[in-house]
Amino acid sequence: MLIRAEFKKLKPVRYISHLELMDTFRRSFRRARLPAAYSQGYNPHIKLALGQPLPVGMVGFSEYLDLELCAQIPASEAVNRINNNLPQGIKISEAHYIPDDAKSLQAAVNTAVYLFVMKFSGPVQPEQILQNFMARNKIEITRHRRNKKDRRLDLRPLLYEAEAEAEKLWRFTVSTGSSGNVRPSEVVRALSEQEENLESIPVVNIIREGMFVRKDEKLYKPFSEIIVND
Amino acid sequence: MIVSSKIENKLYKVEKPERYIGREWNQIKKEWTTQKKKILLCFPDTYEIGMSHLGIKILYHLLNKQEDILCERAFAPWIDLENLLREEGLPLFSLESGHRAGDFDIIGFTLQYEMSYTNIINMLDLANIPLYTEDRDGSHPLIIGGGSTVYNSEPAAPFFDLIFIGEAEDFIIDLVNTYFNFKNQGLNRKDILKKMSKLPGVYVPSMYEVSYHKSGGVKEFNPKFPEIKKTIKRQIVNDLDQSFYPTGFLVPFMDIVHNRAVIEVARGCTRGCRFCAAGMTYRPVRERSKERILELAEKILEKTGYSELSLNSLSTVDYSDIETLVKELTDRFSGQKISISLPSLRIDEFSVRLAEEVQKVRKSGLTFAPEAGTERLRRVINKGVGEKDLYQAVRAAFNSGWDRIKLYFMIGLPTETRKDLEGIVSMVDRVKKIGRQTSGRRTNIEVSVSSFIPKPFTPFQWVAMENRESIEKKQSYLRNNIKGRGVHLSWNEPDMSLVEGLMARGDRRLAPVIEKAWQKGARFDGWNELFDFSLWEDALHKSNLKFSTFISGYSPEKCLPWAHINMGVDREFLYNEYKKALSEELTPDCRHEGRCTGCGINLLFPEADLYAD
Repeated sequence: MLIRAEFKKLKPVRYISHLELMDTFRRSFRRARLPAAYSQGYNPHIKLALGQPLPVGMVGFSEYLDLELCAQIPASEAVNRINNNLPQGIKISEAHYIPDDAKSLQAAVNTAVYLFVMKFSGPVQPEQILQNFMARNKIEITRHRRNKKDRRLDLRPLLYEAEAEAEKLWRFTVSTGSSGNVRPSEVVRALSEQEENLESIPVVNIIREGMFVRKDEKLYKPFSEIIVND
Repeated sequence: MIVSSKIENKLYKVEKPERYIGREWNQIKKEWTTQKKKILLCFPDTYEIGMSHLGIKILYHLLNKQEDILCERAFAPWIDLENLLREEGLPLFSLESGHRAGDFDIIGFTLQYEMSYTNIINMLDLANIPLYTEDRDGSHPLIIGGGSTVYNSEPAAPFFDLIFIGEAEDFIIDLVNTYFNFKNQGLNRKDILKKMSKLPGVYVPSMYEVSYHKSGGVKEFNPKFPEIKKTIKRQIVNDLDQSFYPTGFLVPFMDIVHNRAVIEVARGCTRGCRFCAAGMTYRPVRERSKERILELAEKILEKTGYSELSLNSLSTVDYSDIETLVKELTDRFSGQKISISLPSLRIDEFSVRLAEEVQKVRKSGLTFAPEAGTERLRRVINKGVGEKDLYQAVRAAFNSGWDRIKLYFMIGLPTETRKDLEGIVSMVDRVKKIGRQTSGRRTNIEVSVSSFIPKPFTPFQWVAMENRESIEKKQSYLRNNIKGRGVHLSWNEPDMSLVEGLMARGDRRLAPVIEKAWQKGARFDGWNELFDFSLWEDALHKSNLKFSTFISGYSPEKCLPWAHINMGVDREFLYNEYKKALSEELTPDCRHEGRCTGCGINLLFPEADLYAD
């Protein structure tokens, strides 16, 4: 049985890495005595899959995980038991059973929403800047890749929406995952290349607010029925 | 001031920021009130090393069990965080509440490794606390030390107000309360220290004076006042079952060095390997009962969620009822996919069978330590392992499905010759061959060759360390002869061994040397990427001292720098063992042969119920 859960990774634990987060979950499942399924082989471990890694230092309001169980317990009970055994700063919001053959998180989730806490070095007009930004036909940036050559990339088709929720709080809805991935730092870089009064911001000024499946221009949570039964 | 809240949003700038955030599962965060006795446990190395250390965890949970004590932790910040703290003008802080280290009443340092002394003074400096005990008064936290290298803490002794010699579980609460009683009586720091030096196991370095021979060594070591004890006797826990052991262990987020549940099944070892300081200084052997171990295992695994349980001790295979213990543990826990691990194995088939039993759930590597390349040299070091035993054990291991084997050797041992090195090479070749024959798979052999450092309180405490040129030649011989697919050789940097020898064998004159090296930037000297030998050469030179004074051997007629410490094993026994080493004579293990070897430990601790069965 596969259970898909939405969780928050908040400020107290924002510096722990993706792998450390997985270990933290596995230990909390053990403390919670969840009937978790284990992999076979020399080094058996709890079958757990997370979505797109959240960068170290970034808070996530709506992240997802898939956990395989070998016995069914009510989803709400699983949520309670796990939450009672999670360190401060990590919390499951809700969980649902999904079909065994549902697409994996990495394959299904294709859209991320980021909140940027902006920094200005002079006066700015947020709406105007964002309008100009999204009105461009091309937003070329250089992508730096580990152990690989830099490459030029057009961000524009991968950006879906941009809005200023407050003067210094900007929200971007962007493509994520294997079908086209936007790194939030690249959006900041592209913005500051366009506007001189925008400063670059560190990772801790960015929040991943949501992870979605985008279908026919609409955003769905990855455990929505329309998604898992697709 | 809460330092952590000022630095938290800048931690993205440093490597491994999760070292500095605390908040692990089972962390104890008490309310910070004026009534509480506040203790900061400092570990002078990185988080991942310190959190793998059992001693600091025992003390953390034990101290916090007391209602009126608040105990928090701090680890040595890596240089990137140190620089950030200094740039921001912020001091060393605790992980739990983020308070300044200087806000605590007592700061306890773990003396676990000789190469961490610069980190100790760096942490004091980052806490804005004067480095030397003589420059501190009642306005500063009391700086105490304890741990495995207290057998000779002299090079670092002038930095400490007091050092506890031995196992602290049964004594620490008393020590803390005594300090507060004297403090509340309004006594000054000096008088408090003088009074505290009367407590068992308490060594107050400032109560002693040392004179030196012109030729270099220590001449005399005497108390400054008649009421101060001449020697400090190590304290021990008599009964492990009665002593405190935590169950709600901290569970780090970070993948630390030993990331698993740990039960110390026994303390002490009577095998009597002549190079091994732990084997001599942790006697007598005391075992935790099987019932208590099972009870602890149940609770620890439940409270931590760990999937691996390690049975720790200096020689776990020697635990009296190890087969039954392992069987009961695996019966009880393998259903929960919990694997049991043994840290070190004796070289025999019994050990491999045992390892097979415990590693039914997960298979990791197997480690064997023949230590020397020939039977002769193994007799010198009293490691009575036959070559056949090793090959049988290795064959059994490959047959049971292991394909990774680690072999530990030492070079620079007393009386070592070319033949002994050739012996290492041929043993590795033979193991390689056995791997090919038995497993048919590709096997992996890791050969670790460390340089021998004659440690205090061992039969080799008087001997000279081998010089660098000679060690380098031996290492290059091994590099040229141990190679090929599936074999990996590792060794110690000779320069680093020299400094380790200096710190392990030195006296108080080295404190200013440590300070000078630190001033020029020495930090994390046990880490290859940061160790800088030139800083140490320079600091020694500026202090008009030479390496040779400390590592060229000490005369048995003269006073050793650590002679005022009584670790429990007789000097006469050690000297006799040294002579037996030179005549290649073995000394049997008194536990198995049933004959007392006269080490003297039973006389020092008659109250310990030794080998009660």
